[in-house]
Amino acid sequence: MSDAAEAPTGQGHSEAGDLVARWDAFRQREAFPAIAAIAFVILFPLVFTNLPAYNGYMSLVELIYIWAIFAIGFNLLLGYTGLLSFGHAAFWGAGAYAAGLFSVAISGDPLIMVVVAAVTAIVLAVFLGVLSLRRGGIYFAILTLAFGQMMYYIALGPLGAITGGEDGFTGVSVDPLFGVLEMGAEFAGVLGVLLHDVGYVMFASFFVLAIVGAVRIVRSPYGTIFRAIAENEQRVEFLGLHVWRYKLAAFVLSAAFAGVAAGLHTVHARYVAIASLYWITSGDIVIMAVLGGTSSVFGPILGALAFLYVENIVSGEIAFWLLILGVLFVTVVWLFPSGLWGLVSAMRTAVRRRLLEGRP
Amino acid sequence: MSLLATTIGFLIQTLAVASIYILVAIGLSITLGTLKFVNFAHAAVYLAGIYIGLAVALELPFSGDIGRSIGLGEVGLGLGFLAALAVIPIISFGLGLLMERFIARPFYDRPDTDQILVTFGVLLIVQEVIRGLVGGRSMTFTRPEWAQGAVGLGPLGTFARWRLAIIAITAVLVFVVYLYIEYTDVGLAVRAGTEDAEMVNLLGVRVTRPFLLIFGVGSGLAGAAGVVSGPVFSVVPEVGIGVLVPAFLVVVVGGVGSLVGSVVGGLLIGAVEVGLQMGAPTWASVGIYALAAVVIMLRPAGLFGVVEVDK
Amino acid sequence: MAGIAGLSGCLEGGGGGESDSEYPSLGNYPIEGETATFGFNVPQTGPYQEEGADELRAYELAVDHLNNGGGWADLCSDLTGDGVNGYQIEYVTGDTATDADTARESASRMVERDGVIMFAGGSSSATAIAQQELAQQEKVVYMCCLTHSNDTTGGDCVRYGIREMFNAYMTGQALAPIVTAEYGDGLDFYQLYADYTWGQTVETSIREFFGAAGWSEVDSVPTPLGTDDYSTFLSGAVDSGADVLFLNHYGLDGSNSVSQAVDQGVNEEMEIVVPLYNVPMAAGAGGSIEGVFGTDGWDANLDNEPTRLFADAFVERYGSVPSSPARLAYSGTMLYAAAVERAGTFYPPEVIRELEGYEWDNGGLGQEILRACDHQTMRDILVVRGLSEAEQDPTAGRYWEVVEQASYPEQVGYGCDGGPAAACELGAYGDE
Repeated sequence: MSDAAEAPTGQGHSEAGDLVARWDAFRQREAFPAIAAIAFVILFPLVFTNLPAYNGYMSLVELIYIWAIFAIGFNLLLGYTGLLSFGHAAFWGAGAYAAGLFSVAISGDPLIMVVVAAVTAIVLAVFLGVLSLRRGGIYFAILTLAFGQMMYYIALGPLGAITGGEDGFTGVSVDPLFGVLEMGAEFAGVLGVLLHDVGYVMFASFFVLAIVGAVRIVRSPYGTIFRAIAENEQRVEFLGLHVWRYKLAAFVLSAAFAGVAAGLHTVHARYVAIASLYWITSGDIVIMAVLGGTSSVFGPILGALAFLYVENIVSGEIAFWLLILGVLFVTVVWLFPSGLWGLVSAMRTAVRRRLLEGRP
Repeated sequence: MSLLATTIGFLIQTLAVASIYILVAIGLSITLGTLKFVNFAHAAVYLAGIYIGLAVALELPFSGDIGRSIGLGEVGLGLGFLAALAVIPIISFGLGLLMERFIARPFYDRPDTDQILVTFGVLLIVQEVIRGLVGGRSMTFTRPEWAQGAVGLGPLGTFARWRLAIIAITAVLVFVVYLYIEYTDVGLAVRAGTEDAEMVNLLGVRVTRPFLLIFGVGSGLAGAAGVVSGPVFSVVPEVGIGVLVPAFLVVVVGGVGSLVGSVVGGLLIGAVEVGLQMGAPTWASVGIYALAAVVIMLRPAGLFGVVEVDK
Repeated sequence: MAGIAGLSGCLEGGGGGESDSEYPSLGNYPIEGETATFGFNVPQTGPYQEEGADELRAYELAVDHLNNGGGWADLCSDLTGDGVNGYQIEYVTGDTATDADTARESASRMVERDGVIMFAGGSSSATAIAQQELAQQEKVVYMCCLTHSNDTTGGDCVRYGIREMFNAYMTGQALAPIVTAEYGDGLDFYQLYADYTWGQTVETSIREFFGAAGWSEVDSVPTPLGTDDYSTFLSGAVDSGADVLFLNHYGLDGSNSVSQAVDQGVNEEMEIVVPLYNVPMAAGAGGSIEGVFGTDGWDANLDNEPTRLFADAFVERYGSVPSSPARLAYSGTMLYAAAVERAGTFYPPEVIRELEGYEWDNGGLGQEILRACDHQTMRDILVVRGLSEAEQDPTAGRYWEVVEQASYPEQVGYGCDGGPAAACELGAYGDE
């Protein structure tokens, strides 16, 4: 687990050792994930949009945050509870359409739109969870796939008049935040450089909240039970816990994250695509989580970044970007099960060791 | 049209649609049942079968991005459709063996999720390699005269000749595989291994060989399905992923590890799809997923499933 | 830098070429730097990648002609052949993958990161509608390429979207007199249509115009998206006893439905009509399209100067004959550039005003007019008929022959308060 601090070894004498010990102590603090996340959302765009190698742009940064939220939530189910759902697009799409429809019918307030999306996803998850969680493993995967596809075809065909069918849902109108702050309103001066515009602050805030929330969940007794279920379900039953209820909790939680992300996406794109319900979208989120690394909260963030980077930027240069992604994906699954984040962690451990065991 | 005619028309239609699903599903079902291996890459064999078949039957223009940079121009044997029909199942058989050796075997002991993920990734790679070499344009499988056109069955209506041929070919292949599994030693080992692999091992039967063969046979069927369905639909690299999900639905409805199950599952799914297309077309796809969902919830092993593939 | 009088063709207009920043900033205006960037968003992957590749070739050719002269840049007096409004043109490309969401994301990237002053391209109405909505949001002009749905300049029209391609309504108008003359009066027809906006608008328009021509519709059945097996639907069509079958499918769907129809012997029981022809469909269907009527926007063999100029330049550069989406791509770029020259600025509202109401006759199709009320071009369209396999020439892109050029306003066209235009409400210019 990347969040667990590694105890400094006895060589605390050296300067480097001291630093490491202090760093570890800092890491253990409650506020660390929040601080790190805030630092990230401030520094990342500056790096991403300015260095020539990255070719990034602000809209993509926001998109990464949104998908990262989805991926983090999804990983609570996959990485921590060990359940592979191939139908999470159902929550993503349902939340997105709910937010879109709400903005047209009632109010375009972005925060309320996100809440509507999250609530929709949660309700749907309770319903689908009750139906799907009777089975595990491959059956759960195919069952969730089947439900997701059913929703897709219903939205595409019979409900096409409401959803816009293949054209997607257009006409989303987003009102200013809190009624006064226009989403595109830029900040001036230093604040402008660091925080860009109101929209960015909103997306970044949700991103930070998602990280903090996920870390909280993972470190809580819930998180421990989830992991226990992944390792040995039977044993957890024997301990007197209702495994099924915890699975449902994990399922609903992951759907809640998906719903929040979906609402944000509708606010960001002002459009909902029918593909958001298709099983390939479910596949995309699986790829992001696995690519990034399922054994930590932060892995999926890296996965979302890598995926979206290849999809949006590499695709502009190389036509066979999907092939690259596929090879990357297979390589990770085969050889590096802890994903890209695992590689990062390994490097970190190596650096730490060199610092600690440095010169005597 | 009389009720009888409509019904028979419906049945023939169902058989035609179901045949392709069945051919692809059998291999999937057997692999899942006997080897407990979830193989999304099965669809890659189907896909490869079609394109290699095209290369055998015609000349394939290598006009994808990678293909153009290699500069191969047109590659193919131009031997015609029949040759492809004969050769592809054998090539697919071989591909199946390779797949078992290099992809399946390292993953037998790894969790279901890893198997799904890696085979899905392999499918994606195969699809993209094909797209890179050949290009994304749709292609047609030209057929000999006797395989084209329609045949009138009197008051029952007219049907595409080739579709009737597909039904016949499927029936023959399924029957042959059935005999193989029921009446040969290899088949016996496989059936026993499906029910209790551990026991079979303890009894001293080397399980790997029959399993390998079964993997190959299943893949051969998938390749045959590819060649056979090539003339019916336009061929694009995406057809692999397109056939994957219906095939899986057939497997779960019919039952994992059971040949009869795959056949019945295929017929059921075909019937629901055709029936809805006749009555309420917009619900056709929803219907087959609903059917699958209901079956999994009530009987996860499927209607004829011998085995429940638990986590 | 000012426009130089050239050969006849375009209407004379103002040719100011001062570096412009006299207008407030809007969208990606004013242009930063020395060059103006166009964005070309075409299907580079997926079943329409060949069509997308052809569009891209045409776009690149257009930019070359704009920067260096040649082709229509020499033909049109507004264009200088030395950049546009004093700026040399660069371009970036994106992949729509024939998916509305992907198209929108890729267009968004071009607007945000690459700062395009105009973007164009696409092979489907869903991507066009999605992209033009983005255009309206971001205040960056979008020149539609291939989109045939009535909705693009109907209910989904936007101020920042411009369409030269004709729509389903005009297809219905063009086909009805010719097809009814060929097959007879008072016939029954049956329709199978792809169940999304494009297919739905075609179905409505066919019913309207063939109904008015005296035919009666027996039934009209939607085929869900993603269908690749039409056998059940085709049996239903034959069973209905109708005389004519309309297959309202495009591209891959079209090649499947047409070839399956022939395979099932449908063409021996009924006449088949495919309202919109396109190369992916014809290539996939092969000889099945023989004798089948349809419409198309342009043919490289038309006998007029602009067609020859464009086709020859294209063949010389690429070694292949351009398809009609390619001409749309080329034409759209030229239209935009000419409007910029006339406006004397890249400022979107002014460019749009120059485009609205513009008339020209050097697009290879005779007189065309881009209407202000709905941004739809009123123009001639071609009624075509499929060739037999022996007569087809895939390498030259020749799968069908032109039967007649249905002209505007005699045979096709509709007023601003009729047809799809009635549902259109263009949005804001952005400078109010």
